[in-house]
Amino acid sequence: MTTAATECLLQLYDERHELEDYQSGVPRWCTGCGDNAILAAVQRLCRDEQLKPEKTVFVSGIGCSSRLPHYMKTYGFHGIHGRALPIAEGVRMARPDLHVFVNTGDGDCCSIGAAHWIHALRYNMNLTVFLHDNQVYGLTKKQASPTSPKGLKSNTTPRGSYLEALNPLTVTLGVQNVSFVAQAVDWIPEVLYDIVSAAFHHKGLSFVRIVQRCPEWLPQLLEPFLHDPMKVKLLHHDDGLAISPGIAKVYKNTQRHDPADMNRAREIASGVDPIPVGILYRNPDVPCYEDLRVTGQLRTPDLIRQGLEAELDKFTVWPQEGPAT
Amino acid sequence: MNADLQTYVAFHRTGRRSPELPPVETPALRPALLARFRDLTAIRHDFPLVLIHGDAGEAPVRSLSELLDSTLHDFAHGPHGDRVAAHVGRLERQIRTLVAQHGAGKLSELWHVAANLLGVRADDQLRDSLDRARAALTVDGDVVGCDRRLPALLLGHVWQAAQRMKAKKFQSEVVQLVRRLSELVRGNEARSETGRAPARLQAAVGTGFEDAFDFGTLSRVLSRSAPKTTLPETRRGRVESLVAALQAQPFFPAATDAGVAPSSGAFSFVFSSVVAARDAYRARLPELVAVARAVAMAELEVAGEYREARHDGFFQQLGPEDLAPQDLGLFPDYLVTLPPGPLTPVEQATLMEALSAGLPIKALVQTDDLIDAAAGSETHLTLDLRSRQLASMTMAQNDVYVLQSPASHLPQMRHGLERGMTYPGPALFCVYSGDAGRPSHLAPYLVAAAALESRAFPAFSYDPAAGGDWASRFDLSANPQPDLDWPAHRFTYEDETHQAAVEQIAFTAVDLIACDSRSARHLARTARSKWIPGMISVSNLLASGAKPRPDQVPYLWMVDADNTLHRVVADEALLREARRCREMWHSLQELGGIHNSYADRALARERERRQVDASDHATTLIATPATGTAAPVAIVLAAATSPAPAESIVPGETAAAGGGPESASGSDEAYIETPRCSTCNECTQINSRMFAYNENRQAYIANPDAGTFRELVEAAESCQVSIIHPGQPRNPNEPGLDELIERAKPFL
Repeated sequence: MTTAATECLLQLYDERHELEDYQSGVPRWCTGCGDNAILAAVQRLCRDEQLKPEKTVFVSGIGCSSRLPHYMKTYGFHGIHGRALPIAEGVRMARPDLHVFVNTGDGDCCSIGAAHWIHALRYNMNLTVFLHDNQVYGLTKKQASPTSPKGLKSNTTPRGSYLEALNPLTVTLGVQNVSFVAQAVDWIPEVLYDIVSAAFHHKGLSFVRIVQRCPEWLPQLLEPFLHDPMKVKLLHHDDGLAISPGIAKVYKNTQRHDPADMNRAREIASGVDPIPVGILYRNPDVPCYEDLRVTGQLRTPDLIRQGLEAELDKFTVWPQEGPAT
Repeated sequence: MNADLQTYVAFHRTGRRSPELPPVETPALRPALLARFRDLTAIRHDFPLVLIHGDAGEAPVRSLSELLDSTLHDFAHGPHGDRVAAHVGRLERQIRTLVAQHGAGKLSELWHVAANLLGVRADDQLRDSLDRARAALTVDGDVVGCDRRLPALLLGHVWQAAQRMKAKKFQSEVVQLVRRLSELVRGNEARSETGRAPARLQAAVGTGFEDAFDFGTLSRVLSRSAPKTTLPETRRGRVESLVAALQAQPFFPAATDAGVAPSSGAFSFVFSSVVAARDAYRARLPELVAVARAVAMAELEVAGEYREARHDGFFQQLGPEDLAPQDLGLFPDYLVTLPPGPLTPVEQATLMEALSAGLPIKALVQTDDLIDAAAGSETHLTLDLRSRQLASMTMAQNDVYVLQSPASHLPQMRHGLERGMTYPGPALFCVYSGDAGRPSHLAPYLVAAAALESRAFPAFSYDPAAGGDWASRFDLSANPQPDLDWPAHRFTYEDETHQAAVEQIAFTAVDLIACDSRSARHLARTARSKWIPGMISVSNLLASGAKPRPDQVPYLWMVDADNTLHRVVADEALLREARRCREMWHSLQELGGIHNSYADRALARERERRQVDASDHATTLIATPATGTAAPVAIVLAAATSPAPAESIVPGETAAAGGGPESASGSDEAYIETPRCSTCNECTQINSRMFAYNENRQAYIANPDAGTFRELVEAAESCQVSIIHPGQPRNPNEPGLDELIERAKPFL
């Protein structure tokens, strides 16, 4: 923008964005929902990194978690069930200049979208993926999800679910090319923010599972973990998270873990009580798919139009060809 | 009185300088508000401007930044968009540097030079970016920076654009008239004897069917039978002379098929002296009248309404005094670019006379130096406000377009410039260039902008065509914060304890004068160790409207080359100038309808009347028995007996506490372990005035008095992470307190 002469004396480089600049509307999540904490952490990240709203996009699928793009004053794409990751990959491919975040739920990612999840990890495109895991389908009023604990009584499993819960961390750590895996809990905001920030700074697909409360349908499920700090195990390392003195005072159950150690990471990931919180695995050397496949062609409006025309021409009926026989 | 204060006061009152008060060496010091503008080439501002060549349509003048932005906007997208934009940004800065060093040049040439300086040969990516951008840039023009040549170049450019429009209009009109007059002559000829000769008829039929006719017979038949309706000889002669007169008019270049030819052989309309322009106008008057007369007669002829008996006499007597403004408006305006500096008395008198007589002149009066050294002796320093006075005098003439602006602000006023150039009548443009021609540590742009900020050279326009009253004609809105005496700015600095300090500083006329090296003897720098409480900032002192008390000395914030703050004591002469400047500004404000004294008085009267009405009304109310007044009194008493409200917990303050309960145990105050808040909205839904979110969207107790103890306890109970501690009740009279205190115990 051109600065007006008189304004030139007053405002220069005054393009700082405050938290309010990323807020859009009042969240319609239930009071006490962990999604609120994730939203706050993400908005804080945008503010602290001064991400330009016009250069930031949040992609989601379907579910409570996937309402998040509505509350961000950035670009957003509320996609279809299970397809948040492919949409985000498309955005990433077409617009490598954008910061792409993905918000997906346990049903969205681990059930209907599981195939995309596996391959997105393998592609390792530069995306920041947050798995909002409340272990239940909340938007449709309590059905068991793949991560629901065995025995959970829900509308689809009135006698209690029969299967052991799927562990998103061990699945993720089992896929080739995985480059960043972390786990956070929504009720320790400081650590949640640190992990979200580390995930954002990682180049490649960073997968963060966030264990979150559902006060409406599973109010008791995480209660013991909330009230007993010893049931949370904080992972720390010089290459991972640093634990602040304030946090260390309350959460005394800590463990040193090197995020480069895959075997140890798999071992930690399989534990569910205490909940491991921190960066389990990080490998910055895994190549990104978009770097391998970059075309280097400038995407001018003309080029895009040509591409669209070519695609549409495939469906055009040309008069001289006549009807297909 | 403190010895330091005595020294300062002596300097302020008398100008007597003691050895510990060194004069201000201006190249080193500048007003504090200008601290951020050391390198203008790094700042994307309105300059340099591009005067677009050719017929640029709606925008003959654009700023370089805006031009490049709009070019980039059209094509720089996708993965390489940011790269191209970054490279073009570097180029823009380089061009800005070149213009600042060497002055104006053509955009295409500057582009080339700047690209080479950036090392375009060695950098493929840079070359690629710049090639793409160059290909997308469709216009070219002269790039001019903000210096003393700017006003004349810019006005000349806008004037030319306006004249091109005028020429186009005039020529299309004249071409139309000439064509239709010629048709009259040709039609007449076709009906005459010569037009019906066999050879002419044959030529008219053409070669295709010439054998099918007997042209000799045809000619005889036509000559006998067709009516004799040729033009009378006098009319034919008149029409032919009109065509000749219109084609030979010397005011506009003749129109050709290829467009408007350059003005070869036609009159020149650019002058550097009003006297010369006026003389030229007078000398050309007979010709002007002749052309105007030819146009009017031609229009009548074409419409077939020319009656010799009536019109001959009228047109013969037509003189300059019969020309209406719209007749004059057809012809080019005279652009008079007066040389900078004070006008000679003859020039000034002629200018005023020409403007009041409504001659079609567009005059530029340029001031380069606002500080008037010639006006007084060595010790006397005043602001030169002559240009302002000239503008005021001209506005009083009522039908002259007037625009005043410092050069820095001309891009903002460009629509005003264009309106002035197309205004059907005389126009006066007063411009301050900020470039006094002496070496200065401040760029002319800054000096000019400072003159605007300090109200020493305000920007305004007076457009008689905009309406019938001052409110629609006079526009003062181009000035920053026009309702204040001086625009106030937030100024942030680091104090001696390394803490951020914020002050509101006004950019006053004293700041403007302090920019100039000639003001050195009116200013004295003080040592930091001798900053004493009696010092008051100039802007505060001027804002108070009072003279300084005997124990007060006004100081100015200035910064040196290292951005270190200095307090500089200003003497009485500078303050006097500032007050004079403010008086002038006040009179302009009144014209612009801001703090208008008549309106203010009417408002005060109205307010008084309403107050009287209201108090009458209140008296009637009190007379009637009051009900329910006891309740508020009871509340007031309760508040008085409750413990004094402590400060609410500041967000982040408890961050250091970390484990909250231990560190704050024993406290009676309610608090929240803010860093542990998980933003679940539970407490804010209970009472959004008592609980609020901080800048990280984590809750804190914003106002413990905004709700009841019951709400605090309920919030503590519903908080899933148990970080709300209700403390002790603040209102001992709250109902059900015993039960609540019991419920609050687990959260203490």
